[in-house]
Amino acid sequence: MKILIIEDEQEIALSIKNYFKDNGVQCETAKNYKQALNKIDNYDYDCILLDLMLPDGDGFDILKELKRKNKTEGVIIISAKENLETRIEGFNLGADDYLTKPFHLAELLVRMQALIRRKNFKGNNNVVFNEIKIDIFSKSVTVHDQKLDLTKKELDLLLFLIGNEDKVLSKGTIAEHLSGDMADMLDNHDFIYAHIKNLKKKIHQAGGSDYIKTVYGLGYKWENE
Amino acid sequence: MNKKKLLHKTTQSFLIYAVIILLVSAPAFYFVSQWLYVYETEEVLLMHKGEFLKESRKNFTEADIKLWNKYNRDVVIVPDMGVTKDSIVGKMMFDETAQEMEPFYLIYAPVDINGKRYTYTEKINLLEMEGMVYSVAFMFLFIIIILLIGIIWLSKRTSVKLWQPFYNTLHQIHDFEIDKNKTPQFPETNIDEFDRLNKSLLLLTEKNREIYKNQREFVENAAHELQTPLALFQTKIDTLSQLGLNEEQSNLVGSLSTDVSRLNRLNKNLLLLSKIDNEIYFEKNDIVINDYINKHLDFFTEQAVSKKLSIITEFTLELQIKGNPALTEVLINNLFLNAIRHNEKNGKVIIRTLENELQFLNTGGKTLLNIDKLFNRFSKSNPSSQGNGLGLAIIKKIAELNQWEVQYNFENNLHIFSVRF
Repeated sequence: MKILIIEDEQEIALSIKNYFKDNGVQCETAKNYKQALNKIDNYDYDCILLDLMLPDGDGFDILKELKRKNKTEGVIIISAKENLETRIEGFNLGADDYLTKPFHLAELLVRMQALIRRKNFKGNNNVVFNEIKIDIFSKSVTVHDQKLDLTKKELDLLLFLIGNEDKVLSKGTIAEHLSGDMADMLDNHDFIYAHIKNLKKKIHQAGGSDYIKTVYGLGYKWENE
Repeated sequence: MNKKKLLHKTTQSFLIYAVIILLVSAPAFYFVSQWLYVYETEEVLLMHKGEFLKESRKNFTEADIKLWNKYNRDVVIVPDMGVTKDSIVGKMMFDETAQEMEPFYLIYAPVDINGKRYTYTEKINLLEMEGMVYSVAFMFLFIIIILLIGIIWLSKRTSVKLWQPFYNTLHQIHDFEIDKNKTPQFPETNIDEFDRLNKSLLLLTEKNREIYKNQREFVENAAHELQTPLALFQTKIDTLSQLGLNEEQSNLVGSLSTDVSRLNRLNKNLLLLSKIDNEIYFEKNDIVINDYINKHLDFFTEQAVSKKLSIITEFTLELQIKGNPALTEVLINNLFLNAIRHNEKNGKVIIRTLENELQFLNTGGKTLLNIDKLFNRFSKSNPSSQGNGLGLAIIKKIAELNQWEVQYNFENNLHIFSVRF
C-alpha cells in the first residue's frame, strides 16, 4: 500500500510515515504544492493525505488537478480549518474524508484503511485477522466461522483495534474514535473499559484468541501472539 | 430609586417658581392697589376742598351754607370744629343708603366764609373702591395664571423638541452591543453640545469596538495558531506510545495523552466561542429537541455509567424549535454533559420538555450555585472538575445568539438549567 502525504509541517508528515510503516503502509511526502503536483503526475497512490494550507498553493487546487487528470486516488483532507464551508467545499471537489488537526495517528490510519477498502471494493469487503473475519458490508463478524453478536460500538472498536495492529492505543484515542462527532465533548474515557471487556468476552466465548492486551497506565493493544 | 425625567425636572422648577410668584404677588398687589386707591381718595378730597374754596366761598352767605348742607350729602359745611389745618381720617360709619356700617374716608379742613371760620367736611365711601380692587386683583391673577400656563406649556414643548437629539442618543447607546456588528447611528443635530456628545460617544464606541474586535481576533488567532503545535504534540505522543515503554513511562505518557486531549478540547471550545462571536453560523432549521436527545441518549448514558446515574426523560410534549442545528446540538450536549459532570454517585438526571422550554435537572451539590459567575468563561464551581469552564459560557452565547433565555434554579435539591426558546 502506497500513499502520498502532502503536508508542509515536516514533523507531522514524518510522524505519520513512521506510524504507518509498521502497518504495511509505504509513505511518500511532499512538502509543497509544486512537489505534490510533480509526484501526482509521476506516480499512482492508493491514497493521498492532503493538508489544505500549503506554502505555495491551496490544497483545493490539488483536488481540482486530480479531477482534471482523472486520477482516482482517495483523498483525506487533514486540516486545521474546522468549519462546515471548508468541509463541504472539500467534499465537492472530490475529497473522501476530512480530518481536523490535531488528530490521532490511529484514527488517520483506520480512516485511510476504510477508504482504501471502499475504493478497492471488488464484490466483497472483508477484513480478516487469523480466525476473525469481518464483513464490513453486512456488518457481521465470525470467529472460526461462528457468528459473533456484536453491538455497533463493539464492531467499530474491533475494526479500530485490528486496523492499528501492534500499536498501543491510549484510552483517549479509542474513546474519541468511538464517540465520533461527540468526541469534543468527552472528558471521561472510562466508558471504553466496558466495551473492551465485552468484546474480549465475546471473542473468547467463540473460541478466539485473546489479542487485546492491556498496556498499564496507557491503554490497549491488539497483538498477534 | 424613582428617578425623575429630565423634562419633568425643568417644568417642575417653572411650576414652583410660578406658585411662589402667585403667592407673593397676590397680596402684594392687593395692598399696593389699596394704598394707591387711598392715596387717590385723599387727593380727590383735597382737590374737592380746593375747588370749594376757589369757587364757592366769595359769595356764600349764611343761608347759602344751610342750603348747601341741605342738598349735599357728602360735603357739609359745619361751624368751626377747632381744626386748624387739613386732616384726613378713615373710619367706619353708618351708611343710610346701605343701612350698615361701611368704611369711609373723611376730610376736615378750616374754611373762612364771609370772615367767619367754618369747618369743611367731606366723606367718600371706600366700598366702591374695595370692589374695584377685588376685580382688578382677580383680573390680574387670571392673566398671571394664563401667562404661566402658557409659559409652562411652551417650555415643555420646546424642551421636548430641544432634548429630542439627546433622547435619540440615549436610545442608540441603550441599544448598543459591543459584540454586535452594529454601530450606533446618531442623527445630525444643530446643537453644538449634542453634536459634541454624539461625536464623543461615537469615538468611544468605535474605540471600544476596535479593542473588543482585537481581543476577539486574538482569541481566535491564538486558538488557530495552537492547532499546529497541538497536532505535533498529539502525533508525537502517539509515536511515543509505541516505543515499548515500561509501566512508569506508560503512566506518564498516558497522563500526557489525557492532558493533550484536554488542551485540544479547550482550544476547540475557544474556537467555537469565537465562531459564535463572529456569527459564522446563520442557517436555521426546524429541530425536534426530543428526537435529538433520544438519538444521543446512548452516548450520554454511557458517560453516566461510571457515576451510576439514572437518566430520566420526561417528554410531555414534542418540542420543536427553530435554530441552527450544529449550535443547538452543542447547546444540548453541553447541558447534558454538565448535568452528568456535576452529579453525584447514584444521582439522577431528568430531562424535561415543556411548552417552548427544555429543562435539565440534576442532583449534585447541595447548595445554590453562584448565579452571577455561573455563565462566565472559565468560571468553575468545582476547580478540580474535568470541565474547562467554557461549557456554560458556550450555552449562554448560543442562547444569546438565538434570543433564547437560559435560567438556573435550585429547587428540591435539584439543579435546574432551563432554556426557553
